[in-house]
Amino acid sequence: MTTDAGAPVTDLSTRVGPLRLQNPILTASGTFGYGLEFAERADLRRLGGLVTKGLSLEPLAGNPPVRIAETRGGMLNSIGLQNIGVERFLNDVLPGLTGLPPKVIVNLFGYDQDDYVRLAERVDPHPGVAAVELNVSCPNVSKGGIEFGHDPEILCGLVRRVRSATGKPVIVKLSPNVTSPAALGQAASAGGADILSAVNTFVGMAIDTNTRRPVLSTVRGGLSGPAIKPLALRIVWDVAREVDLPVIGIGGVETVDDVLEFLLAGASAVQVGTALFRDPRTAERLVDGLRDRLQAEGVASVGSLVGAAARPR
Amino acid sequence: MAALDSRGKVLEVRALPLQHFLLRIRVAGMEPAAPGQFVMVAGANQVEPYLRRAFSVYDQEPAGTGALTISLLGKVIGRGTAALAACLPGQDVPVLGPLGRGFHSMGANGPRGGRAAVVAGGIGSAGLGLLAQALAREGRPFDFYYGGRSADDLVEAEEFQRLSERSGGRLLRTTEDGTAGARGLVTEALAATLEAGAAQAGSAYEALYTCGPHGLMAAVARIAVEHGIEGEAAMETPMGCGYGACLGCAVELEEGGYALCCRQGPVFNLREVAW
Repeated sequence: MTTDAGAPVTDLSTRVGPLRLQNPILTASGTFGYGLEFAERADLRRLGGLVTKGLSLEPLAGNPPVRIAETRGGMLNSIGLQNIGVERFLNDVLPGLTGLPPKVIVNLFGYDQDDYVRLAERVDPHPGVAAVELNVSCPNVSKGGIEFGHDPEILCGLVRRVRSATGKPVIVKLSPNVTSPAALGQAASAGGADILSAVNTFVGMAIDTNTRRPVLSTVRGGLSGPAIKPLALRIVWDVAREVDLPVIGIGGVETVDDVLEFLLAGASAVQVGTALFRDPRTAERLVDGLRDRLQAEGVASVGSLVGAAARPR
Repeated sequence: MAALDSRGKVLEVRALPLQHFLLRIRVAGMEPAAPGQFVMVAGANQVEPYLRRAFSVYDQEPAGTGALTISLLGKVIGRGTAALAACLPGQDVPVLGPLGRGFHSMGANGPRGGRAAVVAGGIGSAGLGLLAQALAREGRPFDFYYGGRSADDLVEAEEFQRLSERSGGRLLRTTEDGTAGARGLVTEALAATLEAGAAQAGSAYEALYTCGPHGLMAAVARIAVEHGIEGEAAMETPMGCGYGACLGCAVELEEGGYALCCRQGPVFNLREVAW
């Protein structure tokens, strides 16, 4: 492939475990709706992949307002997993996404293992679904409310059951709110995960100094945006070192340098999230910017960068 | 119609009393806004504050070949509005819009001919600028109730006076400190008119439109129910994205559940909202 000027075009295609992506830029769950919302504002076709809003077996209305709070360099959210439910997604949304170049990754969450298993079984027959991503930052109601992603044994068991329920690649989205995300990554790997995505939001809070009350109706919310990038990068670095699975980096990605940092730390691809709220075209801008940058630096493939910061000079 | 992210150029930043400001931006490739629609705008491409801010389109005029000049009326209350008020003429600012659903009853199916009351609380008047223009243009008489803490809160009062008088109505001002118009709350003035009307020939108004603090709009909704009048409110909630992706701007509905302020709103029927 050549440009009009005849210079070689850098190939951005990349492999993430069993997934083959046209480029390493994906959109993160909960920040891109179900994809179609963006069709009118951004060029969906140019993404490497998109991860849907988290889906549950039944539709959920979400949390009462106030649901978001801006913070320095980011935002807290407590949306409460509002979603249209897996059936409506499969019937009404997926057909419109099927056949487009970006890989469609379906984010799933439940309140016990059976929920996840049923969700995985439900999406399994659909060829338009390239992979499932498990949101394991949900309270496990049958285990006293501990989050699935906070206990290695629970996580391993969950992944094992989902693994046997679907032939799709299984991505486990790690929580950063644990002592060692890498240890949880190892548990997911032992359960049969194909890919890890790291990280979900950091639990935080904000207080309104006028009303002297917490801003969010749920008090706690998930922090995202550029503020968390160094924290997420450190976790991706650790996970990539300690777990023998490909990693998708998530956390404050907004610039080409952010993408490169995650790749160099060991991520095979990245997900863009909160930056889309500021500019719905962030992801496609990053695809262009990354191509220009790699071309200018004579880098032949995305894969050659993955984990390069950890290799001896 | 798809709202695309456009590049805007600041034409003018006019400082108004009490930290209010009027920002005029020329936006290439923007469709005209319907009354009640809004844009997401940021002071510049800086990281702080991170999110854009939602602003009602207060006024607009064509600016040649597919461009539109929009006016935003605001008040500095935090980092986002401070960054906008600090814009300089000539500066580039990103503008996403027009977004949301405006005043529904302004469409072909809306009530016709009846007298309307438009009720603004402070800077909420920004959400009613295009509505007042449309009512005046269509020859629908309306009274503009404009309430604030103090005289300086009633920005652009002359403009609302001009539009309401052109429609055959008038401007009624109230302030809590009595520095302009009647002393008291604007909703008290509205209720007084309606009660006086009810004692005589029937309802003074066929429609109520409002934008302002939550408590004011809730009071207008109560008055609407009491007097059996239809009405709409332009709501304001914290917004992350403005176009339905973050699901952050939930408005609680009377029938249960939530609506997104940015997509199903920002204008809601007064009876739809769980105040």
